[in-house]
Amino acid sequence: MQLKARHKIAGIIVGAVFLLAAPYLVPYQALATQMLIFAIFAIGFDILFGYTGLLSFGHAAFFGLGAYGTGLSLIHLTSSVPLALGMGILLAVAVAIPMGFLSTQRHGIYFAMVTLAFAQLIYFIAFQWRSLTGGDDGLQGVPRPSLGPVDLSSDLVYYYFVMAVFILALVLGVRIIRSPFGRALQALRENTDRAMSVGYDPRKYKLISFVISAGFAALAGGLYAMLQNFVPLFSLGLDISGEIVLMTLVGGMGTIYGPVIGAMSIVYVKDFLSSQTDVWPLIMGVLYVVSVMTFRRGVVKELKERFFK
Amino acid sequence: MEPVFLFSQFFNGLVLGCIYVLLSLGLTVVFGTLGVVNFAHGALYMLGAYAAYTVATHLHLNFLACLILCPVIVAGIGMVLEKCLISKLYKLPHYYNLLLTFGIMFIIQDAIKIIFGPEGEPFNIPDLLQGAVNLGFMYYPKYRLFILVVTALLSGGLWLFIEKTRLGAIIRAGTDNAEMADALGTNISWTFTLIFGLGAGLSGLAGVLAAPIQNVQPAMGMDILVQTFVVVIIGGMGSIGGSILAGLVIGQILTFSIVFWPPGSTTLIYAFMALVLVTRPRGFFGRVSFFE
Repeated sequence: MQLKARHKIAGIIVGAVFLLAAPYLVPYQALATQMLIFAIFAIGFDILFGYTGLLSFGHAAFFGLGAYGTGLSLIHLTSSVPLALGMGILLAVAVAIPMGFLSTQRHGIYFAMVTLAFAQLIYFIAFQWRSLTGGDDGLQGVPRPSLGPVDLSSDLVYYYFVMAVFILALVLGVRIIRSPFGRALQALRENTDRAMSVGYDPRKYKLISFVISAGFAALAGGLYAMLQNFVPLFSLGLDISGEIVLMTLVGGMGTIYGPVIGAMSIVYVKDFLSSQTDVWPLIMGVLYVVSVMTFRRGVVKELKERFFK
Repeated sequence: MEPVFLFSQFFNGLVLGCIYVLLSLGLTVVFGTLGVVNFAHGALYMLGAYAAYTVATHLHLNFLACLILCPVIVAGIGMVLEKCLISKLYKLPHYYNLLLTFGIMFIIQDAIKIIFGPEGEPFNIPDLLQGAVNLGFMYYPKYRLFILVVTALLSGGLWLFIEKTRLGAIIRAGTDNAEMADALGTNISWTFTLIFGLGAGLSGLAGVLAAPIQNVQPAMGMDILVQTFVVVIIGGMGSIGGSILAGLVIGQILTFSIVFWPPGSTTLIYAFMALVLVTRPRGFFGRVSFFE
């Protein structure tokens, strides 16, 4: 189902205008940044969940590892932003390889449970290793150094920096799913036996997809650490793992753009709810139930069906 | 180190293991028959504990009444959830029900927090079961022995139920081929509701039994849920024997790591899971490609 060219151009223009104006449309600028950070997370998660068909329930591990890796690098090692983000990604990838190797031995629902269990392991390691991570106080005092001549300390400037990273991540994500590698992932998702019979090794492809999505998650985590000047322990927790699944599903898995919209909407809604009421976890729970029961095909797919057919 | 101390720790491990056995039995029967990984399982366990607290302190009923009444209440809640929500998603990929129950978990947990407050409630060991028993080589708390006995009886009962009764035969048939059981004239829809109720009831019972030895607080279900997942992954999904063995092993690992290496109490079970996954990916008694 391809969009017509003029719809595509219209979409790009609307998207670009929205991205440029977003800090002025939401209650505070850092919220817009946070929306984009989770959108980056969702791009990577969709490659794994939407395009490879693997539901990880432990991706907070990589978001958190990216955040701790970047935060610790900025505190102890370097004042280079790209290097620190790279260190976060490296840390997450180094953990994702053995974790993905073990998890991809199991399929379907087992995969979700095994990834969840490993994520809990990492959560508890961070919880207990107080001297390094700050335990449940979180990692305090993450600096936000300048990027060459650009001073990132203002929230508005930092937003546009994250926006640039987001656009790069989006382009990269689309390139990956349209590459021969991405096509192979989809072939494996649709019919593993057939893809195997023409010579694809499913476990190798699943593992690479897992590691790629971990890299995106870690990039998002690193940007999050710099945004908050702080890494909370909950960045490794089960809530984040669940939220990224919800974001991808609400937006429409397997569409890249859908999960981006899903992530931005849910970050916004969650912020709004938590500023209005103490019972927002209850409302989040209702949101899970309602979205699974009603619009489970996702916003983007519904729109595509209705208006662009 | 005194042998008596090690023995009493071993028994503590067994008792803790019993809670995991009850929880993972419920989870595994529901998964094996309905294909649902119930994320709300821990929340139902917590509901069992709060039901016991409410029945005991506000209705002034004794512990035996709690032990019978509360699992029934939790089973009822489970059956309503299955009938109204979970059953609508059976035909869709497994992860829809996983997300649905994840949402239900939040709702139950936050609702309890709103009603009872976040701090938790004290729950005393019932008078009749206070004190210790002389086992010959050591004294051991009566209540903990009581948990051992109840779990042993229930596990045996569940095994007999699944092997010898009509509904048990349906559970076995449903595990293998739900459509076939349907075609043979069994009303699968209500059977599934009952089975979900059974799983919820087991988890509620675990909550009642755990209430006097653990803190009754809203987060108790969330904490134990992932550990229960580890138990069923290690034991093999859908396997009763696997759940029992893995539950007891995890109980020992947790208890002895608290004694000898406290930081390991939260991490060692996951390392053990990784070891099992490397050497035997389908768990102790898991079947190959079962519900995958």
